[in-house]
Amino acid sequence: MFITKDRIGAFLFLVFSCAYGVYAWQIPLLPTEQGIAVSASTLPKIYAVVGVVVSLLALAGSFLQQAARPQGGSGALALGRTALLLVLMVLYTLMLDPLGFLLATEVFLLAGYLLMGEYRPKVLFWASVPVVVVFWLIMTRVLGIYLAPGTLWS
Amino acid sequence: MMEGMLTGLSAALSWQGILYVMMGCLVGTFIGMLPGLGPITAIALMIPVTYSIDPSYGMILMAGVYYGAIFGGSTSSILINAPGVAGTVATSFDGYPLARKGQAGKALALAAYASFSGGTLAAVFLMVAAPLLAKVSLSFWSADYFALMVMGLTAIAAFSNRGQFLKAVMMTLLGIMLATVGIDPSSGAERFTFGSSDLLDGISFLLVAMSIFALSEALSGVLRPDGKKAPAPSSKMGDLRLSREEIRDVAPVIGRSSILGFLIGILPGAGATIASFLAYATERNLARGEKKKQFGQGSLRGLAAPETANNAACTGSFVPLLTLGIPGSGTTAVMLGALIAYGLQPGPLLMHDNPDVFWAVIMSMYVGNVVLLFLNLPMIPYIAKTLALPKPLLTVLILFFSLIGVYLVSFNTFDLYLMVGFAVLSLILRQLNFPMAPLILGFILGGMLESNFRRAMMIADGSIAFLWERPLTLCITLVSLALLLVPLMDFLRGLKRPASEAELSDNL
Repeated sequence: MFITKDRIGAFLFLVFSCAYGVYAWQIPLLPTEQGIAVSASTLPKIYAVVGVVVSLLALAGSFLQQAARPQGGSGALALGRTALLLVLMVLYTLMLDPLGFLLATEVFLLAGYLLMGEYRPKVLFWASVPVVVVFWLIMTRVLGIYLAPGTLWS
Repeated sequence: MMEGMLTGLSAALSWQGILYVMMGCLVGTFIGMLPGLGPITAIALMIPVTYSIDPSYGMILMAGVYYGAIFGGSTSSILINAPGVAGTVATSFDGYPLARKGQAGKALALAAYASFSGGTLAAVFLMVAAPLLAKVSLSFWSADYFALMVMGLTAIAAFSNRGQFLKAVMMTLLGIMLATVGIDPSSGAERFTFGSSDLLDGISFLLVAMSIFALSEALSGVLRPDGKKAPAPSSKMGDLRLSREEIRDVAPVIGRSSILGFLIGILPGAGATIASFLAYATERNLARGEKKKQFGQGSLRGLAAPETANNAACTGSFVPLLTLGIPGSGTTAVMLGALIAYGLQPGPLLMHDNPDVFWAVIMSMYVGNVVLLFLNLPMIPYIAKTLALPKPLLTVLILFFSLIGVYLVSFNTFDLYLMVGFAVLSLILRQLNFPMAPLILGFILGGMLESNFRRAMMIADGSIAFLWERPLTLCITLVSLALLLVPLMDFLRGLKRPASEAELSDNL
């Protein structure tokens, strides 16, 4: 028995549908919904059941049917870089409130470029500082959107 | 109707209308040209911009982006054999061989003329078909709408690639399930909020669209092995002109492909990709002798057919969106979400309640097609240079614009964490070869599906007989069943085949 992409996908969806179903059955029935045909939990329950049936069908199919050809695997470097970019996005979100838009975005762009392998100082400067400043000017001056300066400074 | 048309025309021809359609076409062309980024990403990235402007202009801008992205996709198909979107894959069959022969200019010019003709002819069809369909759909009940939505959802699964049927169904279901998060609008009960106040309002459509398209497509680009870098575009453009004989040769092809493309575009779930492949196959079958042999080697007919059909299909897909409020494709699903965010109710009443938006979109299509022809064509050699834009910068900028686009609408950092979560999820799903468009379609239609179902059940006094009581509902239900059963039977028939060696090589 081999683990194929189709099987992993179907299995993950089966687990998700089961978890969704467990929560669907816990949706409280409000007093106003007593005795009505369709309550807040009716369709989620149906979706969960259909989800389980479809994933079981896909799972069964993946054992009996010719599996799809595998796509080229990703290198460890690419995987690490993607993971670091995701971490950087979380850090950006964390920095946005305390540092403010200008500084947090500047740090995000610079760190992102460096992560992606861009080290030329000129490119780093021109692709970050003007982008952030112009974007900030458009948002605050032209569109009148208020961007808080950052809780650390105020 | 005439009054509405004039209102739309005045909006489309106002300086703001022209400016937005020009901006949309240019931005769309630029984004569509970048391999891996398609019209959905382009439109998703533009949504935060459109929130601050009038709905008519917002829709004009998005329609421009849609056309531009399809056109941009053709440019990268022709120049570097890297279709930016699935709808322009067929364009590369003959477009790229033409470019390699040193006739890139001619190929691009023909693509522009074909797109222009297909888009314009389809806009005329749309102008006739949309009001008629809107009038008919005014007699639709909740039951019919429910059945129509089921049909829209089953159609996208039915039209998915062979072997992808169940995956498309799973993704549609996932989208519908995600749409149930938050306070139930009918009863006020909390569903799947896990006690978090940030989830009470549900998950925003913009957040889902940005995460699963813009963010994850940019990150997928990083995940792809470096060896697959796109080749640099050829610097030799060649002559942009077409001879009279060549025009005479492709004119009937453009006519046929426009009609075919428009009709396929109307069908929910079919869209530009199927239209372009069908038009290509039709023309290849119609061609005789030497002309047939040229297909795949740089045939002008082979280039004109898919190019015309994909633009005509894009226009056609606006018919169900504007008249029934049901998106026919992932791209129109994103647009539907934007319309709802504006506070507009897409559907048959849109033409009566908001004729300015309805007609402005249709009228702007003419302007958009002219802009594509006259603005983009001379700029192609310059725009093509953007293909050489460093990937590191582009990826980080897309990540930034996606995150900040969502943040500027909600000003809630919780949404950004959720975005990262969705990006990880869609990256995993992409790696497992799951299609993403059905997810957004399910997400958009999920809420409407539920509210129409509940309304229909209430009217029918709790009986599901409403599905077959009226002939119209019955017809739509039967079509939905057929759309679901045919690929399912196909799938089950496939099960009887023994597993081949391919499976042995597919272990991880």
